[in-house]
Amino acid sequence: MATANVSQPKMALVVHADMGVLSAFQGALTKNDFVTIVARDVPTTLLAMTQHYFDLAIVSSHLNEPGDGWPVAGVLHLAFPKCFVAVLAPETSVLTLQAAINNGVREIYHQSTPAAEVVAAILAELSPSSSGRNSKKLQ
Amino acid sequence: MSRKPSILIVDDEVNVARTLKMVFEHEGYEATTAHSCAEALELLSNSHVFDIVMTDLNMEKEDIGLEVARKAMHLKPRPVVVICTGFASTFNASAALKIQVDYLATKPADLKELTNALNRLVMLRRASGKGGA
Repeated sequence: MATANVSQPKMALVVHADMGVLSAFQGALTKNDFVTIVARDVPTTLLAMTQHYFDLAIVSSHLNEPGDGWPVAGVLHLAFPKCFVAVLAPETSVLTLQAAINNGVREIYHQSTPAAEVVAAILAELSPSSSGRNSKKLQ
Repeated sequence: MSRKPSILIVDDEVNVARTLKMVFEHEGYEATTAHSCAEALELLSNSHVFDIVMTDLNMEKEDIGLEVARKAMHLKPRPVVVICTGFASTFNASAALKIQVDYLATKPADLKELTNALNRLVMLRRASGKGGA
C-alpha cells in the first residue's frame, strides 16, 4: 500500500498582549513558512497547546502583569520539550537570565526588537550550521 | 524498586559542599563532592554517571564552573546540570543560558526551592527516558 507523503507544517505560537506585536510576528513567521497561532492571554495559550504541537514559541514576559509570561514559557517547554521557546523581555538582568534558564527558555530578546529580526535570529539559531549568535539578543 | 538518584556537588568551599551533601543525602540522593573544577572533570571523565551535576562557578578561576557544566552537558546519558553561585552576573548567566544548563540557583540558595526543583528535573528526565545511571 502506498504511503502518503505528508509533511507536517512547522507550527509557531506567539503569546503577547499587544495585537500589533502579534500581527507583526504572525507576518514574519508566515513569510518563513510557519503556521502561526497567536494568543493574548493564558487561557487562549492553554487552549492552543491542547490543539497543536509547536516547534517554536515566542512569549512576552509581560502578559497581564510583569513576569507572568515566564511560567507560560516554562509550561510550553514542559509540554513540547523540542520546541524552541523564546521570551521577549524588557531588560537585561541576572534575574531575567535566571528566569529564562529555570523555565527552559532557549533565548531571550529585547521586547523592542522588530519581529522580523527576532524571527531571523531564531531561524539562525535553529539552522544546523549556525554558531547561533546574534547581536539583537539581550546582552 | 528504583535506585537512589545520584548527584555530584562541585564547590571549592568545603563547608558548603559538605552541607549540600548532607541536604541531598537527606533527600535520598547518593551524593559525591568535588572541590575543584579539575577534580570534577576527572570524575566526569572517569565513567562516573550522575543524575545531577551541580557546580559552583568561581573556583580555581572565575567562572571556571562553566567548564564543568559544559563537560556535563556532553555526557551520555546527560545529567541535569545545575549552577549554584554566589557571583551571578549577566556575563556568566548569559553563558549558562547559551550552553542550556537546566537550573541556575544563586547563593544563599533557598534549599527547599532548590531540592524541589532538582527533584522535579530528575523525575522529568527519568519519565522521558533520558535519565542518568
